[in-house]
Amino acid sequence: MKLPTKEKWLWLVPLIAVLLLWEFTAGYVIKNPLMLPRFSAVIFSIYALRNVLIADTLISLLHFGIGLALAFAAALPLAIGMGWSRNIFKAIDPIIEILRPIPPLAWIPIAMIWFHLTHYAAGFIIFIGAFFPILIDSYTGFRDVPKVLVETGKVLGCISDKKQIKYIAFPYALPSIATGTRVGMGVGWMCVVAAEMFGVSDSGLGYRLFQKFYFLHQMDYVVAYMLVLGLVALCLDRLFRHFVEDKLFKWKKGIVK
Amino acid sequence: MNHKLEIRNLTKTFSTEEGEMGALEDINIEVTPAEFLCIIGPSGCGKTTLLRMVAGLDHPSSGEIILDGKEVKGPSPDRGMVFQEFSLFPWRTVLKNVEFGLEIKGVGGKARGEIAEKYIELVGLQGFENHYPYELSGGMKQRVAIARALATEPAILLMDEPFGSVDAQTRNVLQEELLEIWKRTKKTILFVTHSVDEAVYLADRVAVMSARPGCLVKCLAVNIPRPRKRTSLEANEFREKLLMLLSLERSKACISV
Ligand SMILES: Nc1ncnc2c1ncn2[C@@H]1O[C@H](COP(=O)(O)OP(=O)(O)O)[C@@H](O)[C@H]1O
Ligand SMILES: [Mg+2]
Repeated sequence: MKLPTKEKWLWLVPLIAVLLLWEFTAGYVIKNPLMLPRFSAVIFSIYALRNVLIADTLISLLHFGIGLALAFAAALPLAIGMGWSRNIFKAIDPIIEILRPIPPLAWIPIAMIWFHLTHYAAGFIIFIGAFFPILIDSYTGFRDVPKVLVETGKVLGCISDKKQIKYIAFPYALPSIATGTRVGMGVGWMCVVAAEMFGVSDSGLGYRLFQKFYFLHQMDYVVAYMLVLGLVALCLDRLFRHFVEDKLFKWKKGIVK
Repeated sequence: MNHKLEIRNLTKTFSTEEGEMGALEDINIEVTPAEFLCIIGPSGCGKTTLLRMVAGLDHPSSGEIILDGKEVKGPSPDRGMVFQEFSLFPWRTVLKNVEFGLEIKGVGGKARGEIAEKYIELVGLQGFENHYPYELSGGMKQRVAIARALATEPAILLMDEPFGSVDAQTRNVLQEELLEIWKRTKKTILFVTHSVDEAVYLADRVAVMSARPGCLVKCLAVNIPRPRKRTSLEANEFREKLLMLLSLERSKACISV
């Protein structure tokens, strides 16, 4: 069969068309690299910047990793408590609801005062951004465990809360935890860039894009970094889906797909 | 001591928003070892509540439940339960579902697999060990639930309208299979149903309950030799008798036995 392979590559056609349109518009219509650098110029910039670009990407990933890991470590135990116990939920939910609507970027001054210009300052902003999506989705998962599954567990010997959580609630909630983590990763990456841009860091993709290239009006470099920011996020999402969601949730097929 | 299970003066009232609601009133039942007892009654008469109390999932308001000379205090794997709703753990394969109770008990990998396999064969599901619940039909799911409940070798098997949500054809097959399993394992079975046909086909004895608040109207021995024929004269006569009792109960308040 020829068709499936052809269809597999179909997405390339509009993509190439858009890139050509970009190149043409920038080169022959706008003719001002400050307004819109040409695609070819951007690609060349990526190549020219390759060394600093790799270093910046690693720094940004470090910020991202610190924030995400801390968010996950803090949100999960809280989610178990809130999802499993009505009383813990009632006690903590008001605090969560007050803190949650504060935009992560509003925490930047606090981050600077608390952590100065360390990686932890940027990590903190990412933590704030990723924490709430992970928490909310996860506790929903724990809260919605069907009663009949918990009781089945009890009858089969899961008497303590600890066992019920370990053997029933946790596996049941795992897909929700994964969804929350994925959303949290998305928000977290946006926070990386913003935090670095606003000077919570003196390195990283966002820092260089805004504090260096933009101030020198090197727009081809700016756009090059924009592309990289998007591609890194895309890769992170794909990797997560490949290694976590597709592998872990075969049993969900009947429910989701 | 020749009683496997004794239910003495069992009463259950639920406190609801409208006040105290009597669900069960002064139930007395004695079940002998390896007996197949069906409990029949109109829906809402407290059959599920009764079974849940034997399982230890609900607590009696007064009265006691004694299994093998010991009072039932809470859930335990020595009472296997098959719920009316589908209750398989969706993230576990058939084999892992059947192994669940053994895993909680701490039975090691190899022995656990062997025991589970034995019960999977008993319910005729060999070949489906690695299937997930979403891949199974309703009847197969309940077979797995039966195997899972039996795997921990409980003293008694409690079944709450287990075949209520499968089609009539499958239901007949499942009933035959259950009798076969009962014959082979010599389990004491407490089987709740609202189907007169089911009770007549399966039971050694039928306990008839009246509508709210549920109380025991009569226990009738089904003296029809096995294997039974669903359409035999005796079966029809017995069915008549049960239907009479049930319709009488629907129009009348609770009477003593
Ligand atoms: N947890 C509960 N709280 C209040 N009322 C309940 C509860 N569980 C059951 N009931 C009531 O008790 C009665 C018996 O219910 P149930 O045992 O489920 O009946 P059956 O299984 O015979 O249909 C019903 O009227 C039901 O509404
Ligand atoms: Mg019921």
